[in-house]
Amino acid sequence: MAEPTWQNYKETKFSKPLPLKGIRVLEVCTLLLGPSGPGFLARLGAEVIKCEVPPMGDTLRSMAPFSYFFKDQSTSLIRPNPNKYWIGLDLHKPEGQQVFLELAAKADIVEENLRPGVMERWNVGYRQILEVNPSIIYIAKTGFGQWGQYAEENRPSNDGAAQGMSGYAWISRFPGRPPLKNRLYICDSYGALLGEVAVLAALHYRDRTGKGQYIELSQSEAIMRTMSWVWPYQQMTGKGAGPAGNRDVSICPADTFRCADDTFVAIAAPDEAEFRGLCQAMGRPELAEDPRFQDHLTRLQEEHAVEILRIIAEWVRTRTAEEIERLAEEYGFAASRVRSIQDVVENAHSRARGFLTEVDDPLLGEFLDYEFPVMMSRTSPRVRWSVRPVGFDNEYVMKYILGKSNDEIRRLYECGALGKWAQVRGRRPPPDWDGKTGLILSRE
Amino acid sequence: MEKPRWQDWIRERDDPRIASTQPEALDDITVLDLSYKSFAGCYCSSLLAEFGAEVLRIEPPEGDFIRKCTPYGVLYKGEGLNYLSEGRNKFHITLNLEKPEAREMLKSLVAQADVLIETFRPGQMEAWGIGYETLKAINPRLIYASITLFGQFGPQSHSRMPGYDNVIQAMSGNQYDNGEMLPEGKTYDECPWAVPTKAGPWIGWIVAGTYMAVGILAALHWREQTGEGQALDVSAVEAYTSLEDWAAIWYQGAGVVSERFGNLSIGGWLYCFAPTRDGAVFLGGLRLEMWQAFADMLGKWDEWGAAEWKDLADFSTREEQLKWAERVFAETSQYTTEELVRMAVEYGQHGRLAPITPVVAPVCSPEATMRDPNWLDRGIFTPVQDPVYGEIIVAQAQYKLSETPIRTKWVCRPVGYDNEYIYLKYLGLGPRKLKKLKEAGII
Repeated sequence: MAEPTWQNYKETKFSKPLPLKGIRVLEVCTLLLGPSGPGFLARLGAEVIKCEVPPMGDTLRSMAPFSYFFKDQSTSLIRPNPNKYWIGLDLHKPEGQQVFLELAAKADIVEENLRPGVMERWNVGYRQILEVNPSIIYIAKTGFGQWGQYAEENRPSNDGAAQGMSGYAWISRFPGRPPLKNRLYICDSYGALLGEVAVLAALHYRDRTGKGQYIELSQSEAIMRTMSWVWPYQQMTGKGAGPAGNRDVSICPADTFRCADDTFVAIAAPDEAEFRGLCQAMGRPELAEDPRFQDHLTRLQEEHAVEILRIIAEWVRTRTAEEIERLAEEYGFAASRVRSIQDVVENAHSRARGFLTEVDDPLLGEFLDYEFPVMMSRTSPRVRWSVRPVGFDNEYVMKYILGKSNDEIRRLYECGALGKWAQVRGRRPPPDWDGKTGLILSRE
Repeated sequence: MEKPRWQDWIRERDDPRIASTQPEALDDITVLDLSYKSFAGCYCSSLLAEFGAEVLRIEPPEGDFIRKCTPYGVLYKGEGLNYLSEGRNKFHITLNLEKPEAREMLKSLVAQADVLIETFRPGQMEAWGIGYETLKAINPRLIYASITLFGQFGPQSHSRMPGYDNVIQAMSGNQYDNGEMLPEGKTYDECPWAVPTKAGPWIGWIVAGTYMAVGILAALHWREQTGEGQALDVSAVEAYTSLEDWAAIWYQGAGVVSERFGNLSIGGWLYCFAPTRDGAVFLGGLRLEMWQAFADMLGKWDEWGAAEWKDLADFSTREEQLKWAERVFAETSQYTTEELVRMAVEYGQHGRLAPITPVVAPVCSPEATMRDPNWLDRGIFTPVQDPVYGEIIVAQAQYKLSETPIRTKWVCRPVGYDNEYIYLKYLGLGPRKLKKLKEAGII
């Protein structure tokens, strides 16, 4: 372990700089595909200004597990939106568009996930921003990209559409069962993450040359990129890639098994030492010498794979997950119970690392959020504050960043270009808010 | 002159077909990828190589075990299909890090590199004398990126457990509440498919590798400002966990442990897969108007009383979702997938609530996806002309950029294919010296 490098990492985060200090991001994003991207940058220290149409704002504000709201806030809103500044800006209005262009002129990155052409219709599209800021980096994230048949048809998309259209759901289920939608919004969250690879590569290019650029990302295409073997397999064999339940068809043995107490454990032991270890742990060392299981490529063949997985399944059925986890450590293979969210939140290792990080938020109080999962020894990413009602930081952004006078700000409110939250759950502040806490300016 | 249509204007600038004529964002960066038994590392270095970074993929003389992780044991020209897709644009060299001479050679490469990616068990690099503290002294600008199961520090970092994708998925929390519900009164023996279900692709590895690419690029930006390198640490489990969106908050706020909910969505209504006459569709309507539009599209505006609906939250509880799902599925089952998809596109143009459009998307097999003219037109499956392997289809061009687009120059390389070129370029080792190193088992 690299002791000096990582000593007291969690405790010393706030005595380190942030890697994207000084980078300003403007977002016009809704749901998860949009806001998650700037959310990653915000954890890395970028100053992210989130623009929402007042008074209802981001559609994500309505989403909550079985309608459970955390202190009147959407539970879904929290993870994608830390550390942001929240303005309620109506881009349908010319005055709102003008404010947006003033912000864009001072920004490094613009992120949006509206349908193709909408930003341009609002006079704040890439071509219009180029006129005020030629080195802007602009990313548009959609279901189908900016051009092509589906974009022309103006089809809307969601994560689930991308899970369906990419084939991701098709191969992520048990054989003989209907396609299964993954419970994660994986095409949203992963699409957003992948998009930031492009944004930061573009930032590197801008650091070198001063040039900005336009980036488009389709969430379906992003998730197709993760389905590695599927495409060459279909090309080479002429067969369609199919589902295999919990079995990993590229690694053997690797599957999820049912334990004696009806809990579940995942096991993997593909390389020779690991497989030997597993066979010993099962009390069946002779299996490692069996010609059907003699090396990985042989084990992967269908009839051999089915047989070894059957043998392991029988063994696991007589054991508990704890026993198997212990044996895995002892014999050098991989195993873990299938952890619930309770296991995750209460995990001592994640807490010790600060991945589960304590947020002391002026509006939401204390809770644990996920830290950006790249620990950086010199420039530690971190969550500082959480979500805000629509338009919560209007005064701060108008005054501190754009230098507007009180009169100008008042006029923007009067014409409806600026606005604040509706008195609706998911939009308004928590019920115990005192009308001041968390506001940066205009607390009186 | 009339302003060109947006979609034509931008296509002219970011169509992957013109990518090769454009500059590359990362062609000033050299990456050493020491990944072993980890697709996370390979994927991470691919993302950088697609942007033009010169990636030196360093394997032991017998090659990385990951090359043998291939579906059903299928090989193509001796190569596993996962690796065939993820060796892209990388130079492949061999180096036996068990040997001290090899470690000295690695240090010489590190002195000339910008980024090092490694996936060994925590402590392994230090045991070899090439840990971050040592390499930092050689090259203070180095960005040293480690991807492991548990991370470089914390109580479990001492574990000797290898980190495979299915175990990452199980540990992340994201498998537990994914999958079909056990039908009432049934047992696992009767329904062995109604269990916690992982995703098919190596998404645990891939998410970890992608996060690390973001971390590396952020560290690179910091280095441009200050000249300082640093060490980066990803736990693959934490990386995949962190894409979870609401369950941790729900548990903390209400004490509820999220459980499987099949093809519906605990996070909200309308958001599900629904059966059709010939397959399935995804239905999405996360704003009240979209759910109303969907009901209207099915001709149920009056019968279901859609005009009176006030708040989507009224439909999002467990009981309401199950009730409405039954009604909706009875309707969708009467149409083909194609019919429903067309009805939604139509509705968005001419429906009562147009341009509000309910999201209706086909649930496809990956075979259908690979044939879909829309994706073919967008260059995702354009075959790569690989100098060694011939014409290969991999997913590529997943983002399109106007100035520095990504490109796939080749898909893969056999083990040690680039030893001659790379060792000559970086270490001045010609054929005679390489022969000796090979005989000594160093490369």
